[in-house]
Amino acid sequence: MITTVTIFIPLLGAILMLFLPEDPRITRYGAMGVAAVPFLLATYVYFAFGNNLGAEALSLDVTWIESLNVGYRVGLDGLGFGMFWLSAFLTLIAVVASWDVRGSLKQYFAILFIAEVGMLGVFAAQDLILFYVFFEITLIPMYLLVGIWGDENRRPAAIKFFIYTFLGSTIMLAGFLALGILAGTYSIDALNAGGGLGRTAQVAIAAPILFGLLVKVPAVPLHSWLLDVYVSSPTSTNVVLSGVLPKLGTYGLVKIAIPLLPQGIEPFLGLLAALGVVNILYGSFVAFLQPDLKALVAYSSIGTLGFILLGAASGSAVGLNGAVFQQVSHGLYSALLFILVGIIATRTGTRRISDLGGLAARMPWAGGLLALGALAAMGLPGLAVFVSEFMSVMGGFETFPVQGALAALGIILSAMYLLYMLARVIFGPIERPAYEEINDAGPVEMAAIVPLAALLLVLGIFPALLISVQRPAVEAVLSAIGGG
Amino acid sequence: MVTGQTFVALLPELVATGFLVVTLMVGVFAERNVGLVAALAALGTLGIFGAAAVLMATGFSGSYFGGAFVVDDFALYFKMIVAGSAFFAVLAAARWSERTGDAGEYLVLILAVVLGSTLVVSMRDLFGIFLAVELATIPSYAMVAFDRSRRESAEGGMKYLITGVIASSVLLYGIVLIYGVSGSAMLSDVAEAFGSGLSPVALVGLVLLASGFAFKVSAAPFHFWTPDAYQGAPTSAAAFLSVAPKAAFFAVLLRILLEGMPEAAPAWTSLMAVLAIITMFVGNLFALRQRNVRRMLAYSSVAHSGYILAAFAALQGDAVQTAVEAVLIYTAAYALMNMGAFLTIDLVGEESKSFNGLFRTRPALALAMGVFMASLVGIPPFSGFFGKAWIILAGAQSGSVLVYVVVGALVVNSVLSVPYYFGIIRNMFFEEPTREARLEPGGTGAVRFSVYALAVATTLFIFFVGPLSALARASGLL
Repeated sequence: MITTVTIFIPLLGAILMLFLPEDPRITRYGAMGVAAVPFLLATYVYFAFGNNLGAEALSLDVTWIESLNVGYRVGLDGLGFGMFWLSAFLTLIAVVASWDVRGSLKQYFAILFIAEVGMLGVFAAQDLILFYVFFEITLIPMYLLVGIWGDENRRPAAIKFFIYTFLGSTIMLAGFLALGILAGTYSIDALNAGGGLGRTAQVAIAAPILFGLLVKVPAVPLHSWLLDVYVSSPTSTNVVLSGVLPKLGTYGLVKIAIPLLPQGIEPFLGLLAALGVVNILYGSFVAFLQPDLKALVAYSSIGTLGFILLGAASGSAVGLNGAVFQQVSHGLYSALLFILVGIIATRTGTRRISDLGGLAARMPWAGGLLALGALAAMGLPGLAVFVSEFMSVMGGFETFPVQGALAALGIILSAMYLLYMLARVIFGPIERPAYEEINDAGPVEMAAIVPLAALLLVLGIFPALLISVQRPAVEAVLSAIGGG
Repeated sequence: MVTGQTFVALLPELVATGFLVVTLMVGVFAERNVGLVAALAALGTLGIFGAAAVLMATGFSGSYFGGAFVVDDFALYFKMIVAGSAFFAVLAAARWSERTGDAGEYLVLILAVVLGSTLVVSMRDLFGIFLAVELATIPSYAMVAFDRSRRESAEGGMKYLITGVIASSVLLYGIVLIYGVSGSAMLSDVAEAFGSGLSPVALVGLVLLASGFAFKVSAAPFHFWTPDAYQGAPTSAAAFLSVAPKAAFFAVLLRILLEGMPEAAPAWTSLMAVLAIITMFVGNLFALRQRNVRRMLAYSSVAHSGYILAAFAALQGDAVQTAVEAVLIYTAAYALMNMGAFLTIDLVGEESKSFNGLFRTRPALALAMGVFMASLVGIPPFSGFFGKAWIILAGAQSGSVLVYVVVGALVVNSVLSVPYYFGIIRNMFFEEPTREARLEPGGTGAVRFSVYALAVATTLFIFFVGPLSALARASGLL
């Protein structure tokens, strides 16, 4: 019940937003209040039920379409909880970071909250059809957020994003429907370990599901929708767009594709690990070539998503734990970097790396946190990304030595372009006289970035905070693979 | 033998006939009092809906007139869809027809189409089916041509009339050939005659019959009357005709194929598969090029006929039950979203530019239209998603490679339809309002009520898809 309330509070919030007076101040505080509720509820769940996510109070199972055995089944488990919490958290951060949203602020928040319903729902859905419904609920709000509030290139970017991901998810839906109709139920619990399907059927169903999920991530040959939409979005949309949306795909992988179709996914695991490595290497190489700071962060984000694919494909405890963990740490660091890019761009008026320089002198806090974010992205020990990337590579190396070794190489590559970026942007002499006048991040901006940086540190030093929660669910996945 | 039971069985049709006559009379004698005439017509549609609902709730079923007229949940379900969409058509038409001065006649035409459509879904006799189809079609020619203030209306009506008459004769040829083979027009006798294999004459009959119906439901390559007719027709007529008679024709085609020629299923499922693929692609590819929203929605209705035909292609193997359900659920979902989309034109305008900036000027209306467009694409949680999901489900169950191809085409077409439906959303949400869009809102309160009611129903479909699917499963066809 708590879970359901948490999922649908933002929907009420969205309606509430439309009735607020036309005062940006009230709107912002109102939106913050709305976004805080699911965040506080999710945090409460962590402290009250952290070791017992299967508790009765968290799950709900209501018959929905009886003839197909589809139900409104929600509940939390270790695979989804991290992202469930992070979705609520990043929505709150996105509300705080909404300073560059121009006009129609109420509508912006209302649409953002509808997207939040979908995001929270995906990570709590325990039914394939419900999962798909929540998966798609995020689509139109994201399209509108980018299309209305993005930069001058927003319209083609928004429709491209929509068409690509809609194609992927519709193909995925066909796989879901086939799985459910052959197994006689859509309950994810009941479907565990193949639902009694033969190997051929599993492979035939796994292929479309995998395709849909990989478009959403995106895995590299399917990524061409990503750059435009990331670069065109306002900062606040970037937070959820990069922090949460790719995880809809990766979460589907660890929650549905792998445990539900162990035999079907098996022939694709090598490919999946290879795709992960391609993501890592391609993302790093292309990030190197980006003249635009935001595009660099976008490609860096694609790159580090590869570790999730690699860890998930490994099929080992350490790799899966790393993959599930990396979803959260990727969300934290990419949100942090996108917000900082936004802060820098609004102050200097440019995102071209070659036009920036010496910013640390004028904005020590923002510059310092940019350095922290970049160090996190390259997997510096002591920060959350290190833990999860290391675990993913470990797991990947055990199962696929070649891919694992190449992924480790990717970490070095990412260090190269990120250090180059740092050197160029925040260190060195001040590039332009105009930069002498700029100020450091203000209190509102600090309120958006400091919590992200703090969490990167906390989870880097105490990874057990999250791993202890996700371990039982990861073990369940492992036994499903082994038993399949 | 005609007994009291027979009158109960005919209750929806009797209500329709009664209100038709009364509305016509009152329309003649109280020409000025449009409110009264419209209220009568609206009451009539609600009465038909109520009669069908009561019959269904009490579990009434049986066959009458020597088995030629049957009442089962399947028929009642479609009677309710027809009557329900007629209610919104009457609401949308009331004030419009006041302006032209012949409200009574126009509303009577709607009721006549309703009468034909409610009759046709209950018919088990091929000639009875033909008569009922004509009863539903002939008034619709007049409805399309009714708007005398616009040239397009007469033009659309004329094209519709000519192609419609040809379609009717093709349909009749098909029926006569089937009658010649089986020696009877009753579907049960036809099934026996077709049981021993398909003779060439019977096959020709089947193809002609299917072509006749393809005309009626605007399936490609027999769809070319659709854009002109829907563009010319009064909005309420386009909205109503694209939904209600079409649903009834799909229903009776389902009955003919399943009850009349189950043994010939391999032949007609392949036929339907080919028709479905062509129709989907033609509808969507032509819709992509339209700047006029009416024409776009007309081609979109062609595409949606293709989706429903995809369910017909899946009527084989284990999938028959699911495919029948798919047709039932899709027609209900489609009725809600398509009527809503058409009626919004009355409030905004028929050029896609007139939707520019609607989100700024009239946000609630923009949201409603956004819901219809998203639903027509098939995005959850709106009604269209469930229709499409059921068709994919039936396809997955059918176990036939050809049907898998059809389902693949359906997925591709769903994506293909995104640009034109989302073109409207883009205009509404992303563009600046044009000067015309800032003008006073058009349309009447009744149309606004219809649009919002349909938008709410399209959204809340997620809650009644459960009961609806249970109803569809128990519908009794088979």
